[in-house]
Amino acid sequence: MSEKTRIYLQPWPIRIWHWINASGIIILILSGAQIRFPETLSIFSSYKSAIEVHNTAGIIVAISFSFWFFYYKMVKNTLDKLYIPDEEDIKHGLVRQLLYYCFWYFLGRPSPYHATPDHKFNPMQKSAYLAVMFVLMPLVGLTGILLLNVTPLRVLVLMWGGIKVIVALHFLLACSLLAFLCTHVYLATLGDYIKPMLIGWEDVEEHEEVEPAPEVVIPGYRPVRHYPEYERALLEQRHS
Amino acid sequence: MKPADLQKMSLLAKLALCAWALAGLIAQANAWGFSYGDQTANNQVCLSCHGKTGEVPKGTYIDPQRFTQTAHANLGCEACHATVPANHPDGNKVPKADCRECHSGISEEYARGLHASKTSCNGCHNPHLVQNPKDVSGQEINMICSNCHNSLEMTAKHGEWLPQSELHLRMLPCITCHTGARDYYISMYIVKSKGDSRFGKREVAEYDELKTMAGGRPIVSLIDTNRDNYVSLEELRVFNRTQTSLHLYGMMTPATVSHKFEILDSRRNCSFCHTSGSGPMQTSFIAVPEADGTFLRVPVEKGAVLDALYAAPDFYMMGSTKNAKLNQIGLAIICCGLIMPVGHGFVRFLTRKNRKQKEHQS
Repeated sequence: MSEKTRIYLQPWPIRIWHWINASGIIILILSGAQIRFPETLSIFSSYKSAIEVHNTAGIIVAISFSFWFFYYKMVKNTLDKLYIPDEEDIKHGLVRQLLYYCFWYFLGRPSPYHATPDHKFNPMQKSAYLAVMFVLMPLVGLTGILLLNVTPLRVLVLMWGGIKVIVALHFLLACSLLAFLCTHVYLATLGDYIKPMLIGWEDVEEHEEVEPAPEVVIPGYRPVRHYPEYERALLEQRHS
Repeated sequence: MKPADLQKMSLLAKLALCAWALAGLIAQANAWGFSYGDQTANNQVCLSCHGKTGEVPKGTYIDPQRFTQTAHANLGCEACHATVPANHPDGNKVPKADCRECHSGISEEYARGLHASKTSCNGCHNPHLVQNPKDVSGQEINMICSNCHNSLEMTAKHGEWLPQSELHLRMLPCITCHTGARDYYISMYIVKSKGDSRFGKREVAEYDELKTMAGGRPIVSLIDTNRDNYVSLEELRVFNRTQTSLHLYGMMTPATVSHKFEILDSRRNCSFCHTSGSGPMQTSFIAVPEADGTFLRVPVEKGAVLDALYAAPDFYMMGSTKNAKLNQIGLAIICCGLIMPVGHGFVRFLTRKNRKQKEHQS
């Protein structure tokens, strides 16, 4: 027997941050594309308005990024736990999640990972978000701030190798973010990810009876921490 | 003697007297340099006093080297100061020419412009120094404007609508946007870091510095390596690659300058410049400083300017100087991001029955 229960997965500050960030990044991509290719794109009324929109959206996203860091690091104190993959994730979790996306999903098998408020991300999400939130976003933000203040920060601009190096870096980082965005949005449609980000709650099936450990059906399968199977394997170990 | 002979002699004597008087007058005039002929020699007469700082009041000093380079020097001093009294200097001011006598078209245009009520021609142009815009750097042109228009105030005023106003005002002559011109060209000039520091402020390289760097050869050979008085794109690239302390800057300058100084609304459209292959940026010159304070203009391959300027580490023009290879790399990165939605999505669609069966079973 099982029944549906609801867990509060995404607290409201994170939901607000996520959607400000999402809309901000989309506006940045559109306006940035017009700034780079003014002869072919005219999404915003004029080149100047594209620049103004880009600058404003950039500042908003930079502030929202700082808020995200502050919230997880200082308020919730769960930044490291949520975003830095641990040993188990690297050893087994990543491969397992990759296998799920590439094979098991197509065979109709359930996801090997269930989100909890303390462990919201699967190992692949953790690795991707680590790269995005700790490398891509800070770098794109910093290069953007430098480009916004070319004259006052001229010495810093030259230290980075000159304005064209910064522009190239900013552009390639933005392309990488767009590539991530495509994958991110697509993968969100594979599971129940969109609803919790909108309302905060996720419906999960909770099993009332303790069922016996399921048979290991996949060759090379090993239980991984944070997964229900791992808890059961630990219990079995203690009993034996 | 017959009275008739006496009359003839008297006439001849009068004629001789007149001829002598005329010769004397001409000789006197030539001594002051007030006649047409070899103007350089005639000008020297005036400059023998006015070209020396200690001998004349400060306001009447004329830099002989720079005056010689002006078009006015070819006309000679007397063309504008025609009625200098013979007893000059007598403490009285010498008469000045009215610019309208020669520049009537410009004067009429100027009279209809914004500056007419503010100042006369002399307010901006010193007739003893004045040069064609093509013979001076953009920074020098702006120095004339900044005599009245405080640069900080102008930066703030432009900043109300112009992003990166300080950068724009530093990189453009004011007349680019404030004079109506049909054609523009990019005037490139050589800059050097202040104090040879990597982060030093870029300043227009002086003739003496460049002469030393050229090692005895003409300065232009630093860029125009084959000395054919034409700079190819390849020569610009080699210069950008090999010269670590020297850089090229570019300023868009109107080919013919109008004198109305209007506020051109079309310049508020950023894509006038910030578009790839922007029309006004196809023709360019490199201004190489000369010993006499002027610049030698060397033509550059058509359309090469943006590509060449892109190589300068401190120069970038959004939308205009983008790198095609970077665009391709960026596109490849975006395509990598589409592998998952397209590839996985396709297999997902093909295997949708598997998931429906499992749901049904559970």
